[in-house]
Amino acid sequence: MSRSARLALANMAGGIASYASKKLKVGRGETIKGRVILVIDPKAISKLARDRDIVLVSGTNGKTTTTANLAKILALGTDEEVSTSAHGANMAAGIVATLASKPRNRFVVLECDELYLPTIYNLVAPKVIVLLNLSRDQLHRTGEVRKVAALWQKTFNRDDVTLIIDRDDPFLEFAVMDAGHVIRVTFGGRRHPDAATCPNCSTILDWTLGDYQCKCGLGSKLAQVRGGKGLTGPSRNAILAIEAARLMGAIVPVEYQNELTANPPDRTQVFNIAGRTIETRLAKNPESWRVGLTALAAPQIILALNARGIDGLDTSWLWDINYTELLGKEVICVGERKLDIAYRLSVQGIKVKTADSFAQAVSQFDNRSIEAVASYTAFQDLITTELGISAKRGVTR
Amino acid sequence: MSLVIVRIYHDLLGTYGDQGNAEVLIHRAKARGVDVELVEVTPGMAIPRQGNLYLLGGGEDGPQTASLDLMKEDGGLTAAVQSGATVFAVCAGFQVIGTTLPGHGGKIIDGLGLVDAKTIVNAAPRSVGELVVQPTNKSLPILTGFENHQGLTDIGDGVTPLGQVLSGVGNGFNKTEGVWQGNVIGTYMHGPGLARNPELADAILESALGTKLTSFTDPFAQALANERRSTLIR
Repeated sequence: MSRSARLALANMAGGIASYASKKLKVGRGETIKGRVILVIDPKAISKLARDRDIVLVSGTNGKTTTTANLAKILALGTDEEVSTSAHGANMAAGIVATLASKPRNRFVVLECDELYLPTIYNLVAPKVIVLLNLSRDQLHRTGEVRKVAALWQKTFNRDDVTLIIDRDDPFLEFAVMDAGHVIRVTFGGRRHPDAATCPNCSTILDWTLGDYQCKCGLGSKLAQVRGGKGLTGPSRNAILAIEAARLMGAIVPVEYQNELTANPPDRTQVFNIAGRTIETRLAKNPESWRVGLTALAAPQIILALNARGIDGLDTSWLWDINYTELLGKEVICVGERKLDIAYRLSVQGIKVKTADSFAQAVSQFDNRSIEAVASYTAFQDLITTELGISAKRGVTR
Repeated sequence: MSLVIVRIYHDLLGTYGDQGNAEVLIHRAKARGVDVELVEVTPGMAIPRQGNLYLLGGGEDGPQTASLDLMKEDGGLTAAVQSGATVFAVCAGFQVIGTTLPGHGGKIIDGLGLVDAKTIVNAAPRSVGELVVQPTNKSLPILTGFENHQGLTDIGDGVTPLGQVLSGVGNGFNKTEGVWQGNVIGTYMHGPGLARNPELADAILESALGTKLTSFTDPFAQALANERRSTLIR
């Protein structure tokens, strides 16, 4: 079979599998489609990527939102249709499905898992890679932040791609130290909570006013782009996305740019739970919990915690977060690991109770407003089990 | 009654949430009317020698070696232990207080030598998961924690382990977990370990204060400890 015939067959079979999956309501069809394509044509990713303008987005926090943002800006600023990852599918199957869905689209924006980024970089020959940030994530899976940074550092040693990074992050500066083309964006410098020592040589880093320097030479570099100081993670990511779109040739209207930076979309969804309207935020790791807690305005809060694979199996990180924002509020914890978080909060002097479900928590509150923060699978459980919303709508942005 | 707790290099040895151990100890000590002072030692500061209880947490390989170099140069922790202070050291902190451990690039280097424990690199995949331990001290209940380490630690013949592994890896030699030698306690249990095991927290406080504590029941602490035990033992 010729190379193109194999790819065509793979694509057709993938389409059938996707259709069946959607009809049978077992999923969105993307992952199964990708898996079938890869079984029939293991080289499908590089074949489908040929002669296209591809941007990869990776980092610990904000991949899905930034990928969606970037695809939107790029479409708007180039007047072309842009293919992009759906629902955070950021491994091989999801990526091949995205590439296959509209193979004539020139522009493609792909979200990429941190550990999978080197493989996908070599397969798709992207024009631009946006590296958002690196911080502690699910420690049981990715191991240490330093290991991810070192893996990237070994990968980015050619000049066939432009890397856009937040230059205030020492792990990213280390990751691109041998890269040919780097665009550095600074947000005024800020101390990284996981970078007391140098990612390159492990010596204690010298931090002054948010900038760092190591005797090995790694340090805060001159940036080509200045973002505002004191911006939140989502706003910083929006600025990195705008830079990537510009580099791909998009013309980004100033109003759109301002709006996106001021009000970046986040992973918040509004649900009706036991007759109450509750804004619920998805939080996946210490940094996104910090962001989530800062955003809370209601006097009554539900915190939902599980510790299944994607949530992080070890809940120790709960003790790294300062919960001052919750002082004076009423908090009810739910989820499989509600006691881990309830005990943590009680030690900080926060008024806390537990409940067996969101609905039960709601019934313990009065008629003042309620907001919620939930870990990944607790968020999914709320949607699929407690509210009974079909799985295919699952966790979205 | 007063207690000085010294938390050493939280920036370097705080990757796995073990700084929560200090908060648990302070909370439980204050509940008994003990005056507690917490001293945070950051790189560049001298480690005080007059503390009662010294805490070390887990960290990544690079920061672990950096913290060891600083502690060797400082000498404060070793001096405090010689004067009878209590130490609770977790994971990378446990390895650092031992006799030898893998340093930068895997080369075996000398630790602080506060306990007889030699750490080597495990050729097998990283030990990651829940750890359940039958403690050597019979007055303590079953202990649980979350382990996440590449090293295996061989404690010397006749050295008392913190306990025997019921499930998980622990030290990786003879089913032992951790060490309890004199007033120095080492363990692979994160969680934080003292948040999930309030009875162990009290035993450490008693070692540091040199006296028995009055009983104290914290409903959330006990509920969490019981939930972990019943979930993991069944």
